[in-house]
Amino acid sequence: MKALILGLIMISFSLAQELVELKLSNSNKVVVKLMFRNGSICDPSGKEGLTNLTTNLITQGGTGELSVSDIQNKIYPMAASYSSNVDKEVSVFTFSVHVDWLDEFYPILKGLILNPSFDESDFQRVKANQQNYVDQVIRASSDEEYSKMVLEDFLFRGTNYQHMVEGKTESVKSITLDDVKNHYKKFFTKNNLMIGITGNYPDEFLKKLNEDMANLPDVKPYIPESPKIEMPKGINVEIVSKDGAFGSAIFTGFPIEITRSKDEFAALMVANSYLGEHRKSYGQLYQKIRELRSMNYGDYSYIEWYENGGGNMVPPSGVPRSSNYFSLWIRPVQIAKQLNVQYEELKDIKLGHALFALRMAIREVDKLLNKGISQEDFEATRTFLKSYMKLYISTPAEQLGYLIDSKFYERENYIKEMDELLSKLTREDVNNAVKKYLQVENMYIVIVTGKGETEVLANALKNNEPSPMSYSNLVKENLPADILEEDEVVANYKLNVNTVKIVNSENTFK
Amino acid sequence: MRLLLQFLFITSIIFTSMITCFAKREGNMEDYKILPYPIHQYKMDNGLNVVTVPFDSPGLAAFYIVVRVGSRNEVEKGVTGFAHFFEHMMFRGTDKYPREKYNEVLKLIGAGANANTSNDRTIYHMTGNAEELEKMFDLEADRFKNLNYTEHDFKVEAGAVKGEYTKNYASPYSQLYEKMLNTAFEKHTYKHTTMGFFEDVVDMPNQFEYSKEFFKRYYRPEYSTIVVVGDVIPENVNSLAEKYFGDWKHGNYEVDVPEEPKQTETKKSHLQNGSIPPYLNLSFKGPAFSDTEIDMPALDVLSTILFSENSELFKKLVIEEQKTRFLSGGAGDSRDPNLISIQASFYKKEDMQYVKDEIIKAIENVKANGVDEKLLSETKSNLKYSYAMGIDNPSTIANSICHYITLTNDPESLNKLYALYDNVTVDYIKMVAEKYFITTGLTIATISPDAEGGVN
Repeated sequence: MKALILGLIMISFSLAQELVELKLSNSNKVVVKLMFRNGSICDPSGKEGLTNLTTNLITQGGTGELSVSDIQNKIYPMAASYSSNVDKEVSVFTFSVHVDWLDEFYPILKGLILNPSFDESDFQRVKANQQNYVDQVIRASSDEEYSKMVLEDFLFRGTNYQHMVEGKTESVKSITLDDVKNHYKKFFTKNNLMIGITGNYPDEFLKKLNEDMANLPDVKPYIPESPKIEMPKGINVEIVSKDGAFGSAIFTGFPIEITRSKDEFAALMVANSYLGEHRKSYGQLYQKIRELRSMNYGDYSYIEWYENGGGNMVPPSGVPRSSNYFSLWIRPVQIAKQLNVQYEELKDIKLGHALFALRMAIREVDKLLNKGISQEDFEATRTFLKSYMKLYISTPAEQLGYLIDSKFYERENYIKEMDELLSKLTREDVNNAVKKYLQVENMYIVIVTGKGETEVLANALKNNEPSPMSYSNLVKENLPADILEEDEVVANYKLNVNTVKIVNSENTFK
Repeated sequence: MRLLLQFLFITSIIFTSMITCFAKREGNMEDYKILPYPIHQYKMDNGLNVVTVPFDSPGLAAFYIVVRVGSRNEVEKGVTGFAHFFEHMMFRGTDKYPREKYNEVLKLIGAGANANTSNDRTIYHMTGNAEELEKMFDLEADRFKNLNYTEHDFKVEAGAVKGEYTKNYASPYSQLYEKMLNTAFEKHTYKHTTMGFFEDVVDMPNQFEYSKEFFKRYYRPEYSTIVVVGDVIPENVNSLAEKYFGDWKHGNYEVDVPEEPKQTETKKSHLQNGSIPPYLNLSFKGPAFSDTEIDMPALDVLSTILFSENSELFKKLVIEEQKTRFLSGGAGDSRDPNLISIQASFYKKEDMQYVKDEIIKAIENVKANGVDEKLLSETKSNLKYSYAMGIDNPSTIANSICHYITLTNDPESLNKLYALYDNVTVDYIKMVAEKYFITTGLTIATISPDAEGGVN
């Protein structure tokens, strides 16, 4: 019954690329991941989005021998799949195929990576979709994701981390097919490649894969340094005014100088999980804002980049970063315009729930700083994490992905090592890490909200005005006294506001 | 090189035998199983079904409970969205495990736990340490039998549902979907989304008494199935089910879902919005799911042929002519007749009519000429390999089994459906194209900057 895992074998070939191998003899498929150390930080100035467009053109185009339609015809009966994902510092290609078809599929994998067609017509199609993403989709489809992207734009302003991996309106427009071809030659080389493979594959297959990938260009790519972000002075807010927004979507953050590579990360992980574990009801933020006050759908905190938080329940692999920040995610809360029409007793209020929710979230961080985590909460959170982290790697592809990411952070096996670090941890370690890395005086805040809410919200923030919570009578009539008392404190909780700026949605990312 | 040749030879033999397995099974449904693991079923005296699938996931188990209640059951006026709201209430505690205690115990288990609701079912799930299975049973049985929340908690939770609606409503696609369903259906409860109409969501805090009734009606063993997948032994799972759910009382409520009258003309629904690319959704009235009738398997095969990335339409409209940014389509599985939907997103709104006409032309071509036999065989292979590739962890398998329990109350429907794919012929494909892709069953939904959709 137990898995016949033949074990994690690190093979050192005499080739430039690195290899991570995880053989699973009982699996019915093979997954190959190719991670290139490049990412959007390698996008030339004025051509932001180029790395992403290059990988998309590889996976959505043809090979020297086969058009994209030919490839579709071939892989159709196999149901094989492949995709790419670009983040700030890496690009990852993932290929999945049933073992029955490994041999038939391999020439396509090889052709796409070594000999992409870079056809003009495919280029126009792929570029048009990327253009549409930066022009429209990011602003129009999810206010939560939008606020997160604007926060990154704000927090990393002036650095190579600032732009979305998809780029900006003007930069995507300026990208040519020649740019893509040159970028491919310079940044998709054998010298910045890590090969990962899992599943039930013959040794000969791996040998061949390694030998073939050694035919990638042998140039040494120039990979820029990831940025070192200065702590902002005070709290700096950008309110994005969006026509027709139905609520206020909030993201806040400030830089922290820690990643998975430091052992202290385990301590900070416990603190973060206690404060606001992603999509879990145990966090203090969730308890206070959603569970007790019913203000929104959920509230969480993060100590590293979390890809597609709206869609993923556990953190996906393939997005490792060297520059890091702490963040709070407050899911959309009600705006005044909506409350005015929903409840007679709230028909005259001018300010929605954004400022109250923001104060409450920041105050919870403040409380953690001042009081620390209790022994009981420390034990419970550590126990939770030791078990929960195993769910990150419940599929072979994610086991492999996490092993590859481990190498990025100069670890062998992040999940296993964190488990060991968590076992050794003490409550003091956690509270020391909180004091060392967290604070509430300096941060960036982004709020995407309706046009009617922006001025009132901006003024309330600038003047640190009280922001009393406006409950409907239905909820208010039976609220316990301790909640109302805490509300009073929260409504008057002072934020160290430095700047507040209103930006029209059309002018973001410029 | 010799080793390599040997390897090629061996894999080609395996490959041939697997193709035989996937592509050449005619009239031999008895022993065909797409799920390569046995499904163990244990029916308890109170009507609760317990399904266990041992799976090679050392130390890990997925514990799911599927309740066959969803927005389909929201038959009374003013309670759209209630099944989903009730799912939220299930986390509000019992006398034994009040909300805080429930969270505390769940945290100590270290499981990934959540719930979700759709048209036809509500699923509660935990995936975590298989050694904690008994604790999972204890927690779940307690709230399924003894849920107890205050009226204040009920009102408070309604705000979280409104928050969920608020987050979703930011997407114009969600807005159109709500409008489209409201147009396509007249009487059936598929007329509203699982989230419900906003006015009903706002009114939820006033439905406390109804919530008690809802729990009494549906949170019963005859509506529920326990599904456990992973590093477990069926006999142990069955014993735990008896221990914790044995005294759960059978109910007697049966919902009377209004039948949808036959549609007689093409309907339209439009959202004026210039913030995203123009968008078209063509929805035809389709059949209910069945694991014995050929209609749904034939429609699955047909929609894969017509609208997948390998389809002629996709290659023409997306790759070559670049009229649409994407194209997709398919029939949704549901207990009652639901929609077969085709979606496309555009570069220019002026192309919407042309693309709609091309889609109809492709469908008419199937009605007249059928489909290529080789393509048919490759499509069956595609459907089966897609499934086989996906089932690599306990949660995915449990979800998949819950899907079929939702539809027929029988987990074996999964294997039956995939066996039926082998029986799909060109004639059946033509039959379902004729039967379901008709203008009197069509709803055209559009998003564009214009006041009218403009697609006929």
